Amino acid sequence: MTSNRLPNRGRVDHGKPVRFTFDGKALQGLAGDTLASALLANGIHLMGRSFKYHRPRGVVSAGSDEPNALMGTRRGAGQFEPNTRATIQELRDGLEATSQNRWPGLGFDVGAVNDHLGSLFSAGFYYKTFMWPRAFWDRVYEPVIRGAAGLGVSPTESDADSYASRFAHTDVLIIGAGPAGLAAALAAGRSGAAVMLVDETAEPGGSLLSEPDVVIDGKPAWDWLAATLAELAALPNVTILTRTTAIGYYHQNMIGLAQRLTDHLDTVPAGAPRERMWKVRANQVVLTQGALEKPLVFDGNDRPGVMLAGAAQTYLNRYGVKVGDRPVIVTSHDSAWYTAFDLAEAGAKPVAIVDVRTDVAGALTDRAREHGIETLIGRTVTGTSGRLRVSSIRVNRVENGKATTPRDIACDTVLMCGGWTPCLHLFSHTKGSLAWDDELKAFLPGHRTEAVHIAGAGRGLWGIASVLADGAAAGTQAALDAGRDATEHAHTVEADRPGTGITVKELPTDRDPGKAKAFIDFQNDVTAKDIRLAVREGMRSIEHVKRYTTNGMATDQGKMSNINGLMIASDALGKAPPQVGLTTFRPPYTPTTFGTFAGYHKDATFELTRKTPIDPWAEAHGAAFEPVALWRRAWYFPKPGEDMHAAVRRECQATRASVGMFDASTLGKIEVAGPDAVTFMERMYTNPWAKLGVGRSRYGLLLGEDGFIRDDGVIGRLGPDLFHVTTTTGGAARVLNMMEDYLQTEWPDLQVWLTSTTEQWATVALQGPNARKLLEPFVEGLDITAEAFPHMAAAECTVAGFPARLFRVSFTGELGFEVNVPARHGLALWEKLWEAGQQYDVCAYGTETMHVLRAEKGYIVVGQDTDGTLTPADAGLTWAIGKKKPDFVGKRSLSRPDMVAPGRKQLVGLLTDDPTVVLQEGAQIVADPNQPKPMKMLGHVTSSYWSDAVGRSIAMAVITDGHAREGETLYIPMPHHILTAKVVKNTVFYDPENTRLSA
Amino acid sequence: MLLIHCPYCEQDLPELEFAYAGEAHIARPADPSKLTDEEWRDFLFIRTNPRGVHFERWRHINGCARFFNAARETVSDRFLLTYKAGEPRPDVAKLTGVAQ
Amino acid sequence: MNAMSPLAAGVTITELAPTVRIALRLADISTAPGLALPVKVGERSAEGGRTVLCLGPDEWLIEAPEAGRDALFAALGAISVPHSAVEVSDREITLELEGPAVLTLLASGCPRDLARMPTGSGARTVFDSAQVVVTREAEDRFHLTIWRSFAPHVRAILDLATRELAAGL
Repeated sequence: MTSNRLPNRGRVDHGKPVRFTFDGKALQGLAGDTLASALLANGIHLMGRSFKYHRPRGVVSAGSDEPNALMGTRRGAGQFEPNTRATIQELRDGLEATSQNRWPGLGFDVGAVNDHLGSLFSAGFYYKTFMWPRAFWDRVYEPVIRGAAGLGVSPTESDADSYASRFAHTDVLIIGAGPAGLAAALAAGRSGAAVMLVDETAEPGGSLLSEPDVVIDGKPAWDWLAATLAELAALPNVTILTRTTAIGYYHQNMIGLAQRLTDHLDTVPAGAPRERMWKVRANQVVLTQGALEKPLVFDGNDRPGVMLAGAAQTYLNRYGVKVGDRPVIVTSHDSAWYTAFDLAEAGAKPVAIVDVRTDVAGALTDRAREHGIETLIGRTVTGTSGRLRVSSIRVNRVENGKATTPRDIACDTVLMCGGWTPCLHLFSHTKGSLAWDDELKAFLPGHRTEAVHIAGAGRGLWGIASVLADGAAAGTQAALDAGRDATEHAHTVEADRPGTGITVKELPTDRDPGKAKAFIDFQNDVTAKDIRLAVREGMRSIEHVKRYTTNGMATDQGKMSNINGLMIASDALGKAPPQVGLTTFRPPYTPTTFGTFAGYHKDATFELTRKTPIDPWAEAHGAAFEPVALWRRAWYFPKPGEDMHAAVRRECQATRASVGMFDASTLGKIEVAGPDAVTFMERMYTNPWAKLGVGRSRYGLLLGEDGFIRDDGVIGRLGPDLFHVTTTTGGAARVLNMMEDYLQTEWPDLQVWLTSTTEQWATVALQGPNARKLLEPFVEGLDITAEAFPHMAAAECTVAGFPARLFRVSFTGELGFEVNVPARHGLALWEKLWEAGQQYDVCAYGTETMHVLRAEKGYIVVGQDTDGTLTPADAGLTWAIGKKKPDFVGKRSLSRPDMVAPGRKQLVGLLTDDPTVVLQEGAQIVADPNQPKPMKMLGHVTSSYWSDAVGRSIAMAVITDGHAREGETLYIPMPHHILTAKVVKNTVFYDPENTRLSA
Repeated sequence: MLLIHCPYCEQDLPELEFAYAGEAHIARPADPSKLTDEEWRDFLFIRTNPRGVHFERWRHINGCARFFNAARETVSDRFLLTYKAGEPRPDVAKLTGVAQ
Repeated sequence: MNAMSPLAAGVTITELAPTVRIALRLADISTAPGLALPVKVGERSAEGGRTVLCLGPDEWLIEAPEAGRDALFAALGAISVPHSAVEVSDREITLELEGPAVLTLLASGCPRDLARMPTGSGARTVFDSAQVVVTREAEDRFHLTIWRSFAPHVRAILDLATRELAAGL
């Protein structure tokens, strides 16, 4: 294999070889290489196959706009990434890279048959081809298309890396560390402003890294760069982040930065995240992102060895890699001429410079002649040849806009330049307007919506001198706007390479344009003729052309293709480009890993999980857990050999037979205090509170203003002006917010205050006939006999030596207590009660048993038996409404016509005809199982359990007009059979006289 | 992520500290029973949803915990100003003048 | 920019022993003369080991050592107008974060610009998805007061971020 590496050239470390593999083949590059530059150094241009036609493709660019050289990269187990851009991935020791979109191999690929069938795969192919027959949609087309589609291969292992995120705040954020960005950073940094300068590549410098011969402030470019970076590094107010891509520009100068921390490292330090997402709030933003080079559009412009001229210059000067020995340069811009000169001076033999313009500066043509390079001015290119690498180019004269006499020129690379597009993706994210500059044939920044400054090639300037001056001015202005004193510094520039160019549509050809494969979008395989076809078939807006052809819809978001596509569409439509418009750029600027977005939210910190003070005991005693809102709650406590069903049966039996213990700490708790507490409670809850005595509690029902049930809970009155409100576990935050809303905005005159005490208290529920016997010895300062402390009594006392709030309350139908102690004592209380409870065969039960026991009593769970559309009447809770109250939240809605009309879904009991059958929760219910599908569904099962206490299965359901269906048989169709059940209006299945809880 | 000026904290603070709370200046009727069904329906469900300046409520829920009001331009998603709960609705014409 | 030095030395994280904590709600601060209630949201007064942080226009978080419990309750008892004083000593856990990189560490989850928070002040804000009360005790020392069940998540992210800082990238 030939080496195209030039000794002592570039910024790579020639003394540090780096070993890597490509498609399993061992190769060597240098420290400082990208994967692409290392492959090119090894003479490898063929780096992938295209997405649709599987055409062989080489690297086109040297930056993040690369559409072709996308590879799978791997470091180890769980560290595979598809679609890595070889132009961005830095070489590291042991890097494994594999090409994509090919089988069996890159050199010979079966899928390339698509290329020969190209005329079948024209624009809109999918829309036209897979229309009929309808039956084929799911079974034939979808699997076949899916199998062939997709870019790269998804990783199959979970990601082994960690990721990070960080907020930052700065005066000035400068995006792009090329000459404009560096000048801006100097200006802003010297003012004392806090400055962040970010660049997506491995080192700052931008175009200076590709143009070492320019002289700035009397120093060669790279010396100036080193001095500038040293000065910036010495400023404590300046931070430089490399390998950091600004991916999105959001409101009020919030910028997302994706920083790659370890992908370039041979070995990763322990604890180092792979990538970090920065969320930066900047007072001022300076965009110095430069410009992106456009390809020229001609038949065969995608052959390996055909690449952007600017990229070749970067490979040469930054990486010391000569991309070819006998390049032909094809250009519409002066910049590519310098690529030819640099290559010639590095020892390559550029064969010819083909310029599609008719007029080129004499200085350039003279210099080309000095290098012995043939200049072909005013020509067109009509084809290339070569199988896996370009071997010749077909150049024609142009007369009256028509290609005439062709000539084949042998070459080993074609370096093209179709002009430069100012990089305004981030600016577009701000909804800043773009203004078409007809001379430059480019969109330039127009109206700004943010505190943003755009400088350099990003606003159409060319040449280091003008870009430096512009960057310095922008940096100064940004510092001033951020409230700093800043003075502008001038830079002197010698040996600059100013230049101009034009932007053209596809190059004229003497061949059948219908057969030309002149690519615009390399990644999505969109050609010039696809765009013209789309226009012929009626697409008028660029947005339609884009979607019909998929131009610009690949992961590069059309960085190379948008303007070329627009030029051709506008020509086909006979309209000026700004009338055709530009498609919208959206974040992220470049493809960004899911890990970067996830940040720390992975594995144990994937999601916040709340645990109660008693959770460690449950874990130690083998509890199975279930998530309830953000909490993890003990679900059941299986003994060895028990499944959930067996454990729950045992827990239910033990609780009803003697006593069970339940961790109720997750219940929301709100302290409502103040002289107007009663008034407030009267207004919020449906129930009456004025006559509730101190030391008593009551079930409270909370509606929304729309009359639908929002929450419920037991509320104790601990003083004339003090209520201890409990809410559902999941409703705690919502209820407090709702209460605060009414208090602050509707009734600010009320003297009452709300404090969340959910986590102040740990709550242990003791339920069962022996609950009092177990608790009594621990209670000080309170008589808890049935007479002194009846059902729904509440008091403050001492339990087991801890200050406590004690409620006699039951969610099981048994004699029950809930003991609240300060959270730090929760576990100790639980353990003391557990120890003492052994004499009563106490049983710890979890949420599943709690659900069974409450369902046996017909107690609803808000959010399970209600769904936000049930009124108190629908749920059979009219008894909880204070009939004499003039008003409460939701009261007026209860008399709205729809709320009293027939046909409402209502909560009822459901008893299966076969008492051993337990219905599935969520199962749909119908009146007639023989009706045609789709059946009319009357409602669904909300709660369903096996009940030992009742000796059969029990269920609750919400059913249309359910309350009027007492005794009616309804049907529950299942996949393979139909179940039958009878409606019962009374959902109290167990101990309907409530004798047990009054014990 | 927006920066929101809390009129109680008198600071511009990150949106993550705030929660949106619906349209502003819709007072709960003092005596809902006096409202017709249509009037009550409108109070419950009918909102202006303008293209332009929207008066809306926010809560500095992860901060001072106060509900307050804001005028926000729904096209640009920009706050024109924020003000304390209970203060009168500002003049739209003046606001858009300020915005320009 | 002091929040961004990637190479700053470590930060120690310590869970503090419980103190007496009171959530005080009051309409008129002139009625609580014994408590030195600061007026502006974010301001904190400190007196004899007791601190009073103004969290909202009518809300204060009072912290006192256990030894000062009686004195605190006496001062609360002397408030002459309707108010709400709820003990929340067990509701929260306080973490102390100290070290030169403390701002960077906090930036792993807190969206506020804490570099601008003056020493001796504080605020309720968020860290990751948890509501927290942040106070700045010294130039490089902060307290994070977090509802008990949210604290392990906050701590876990702080530990990840500490490892990240130690890795030096």
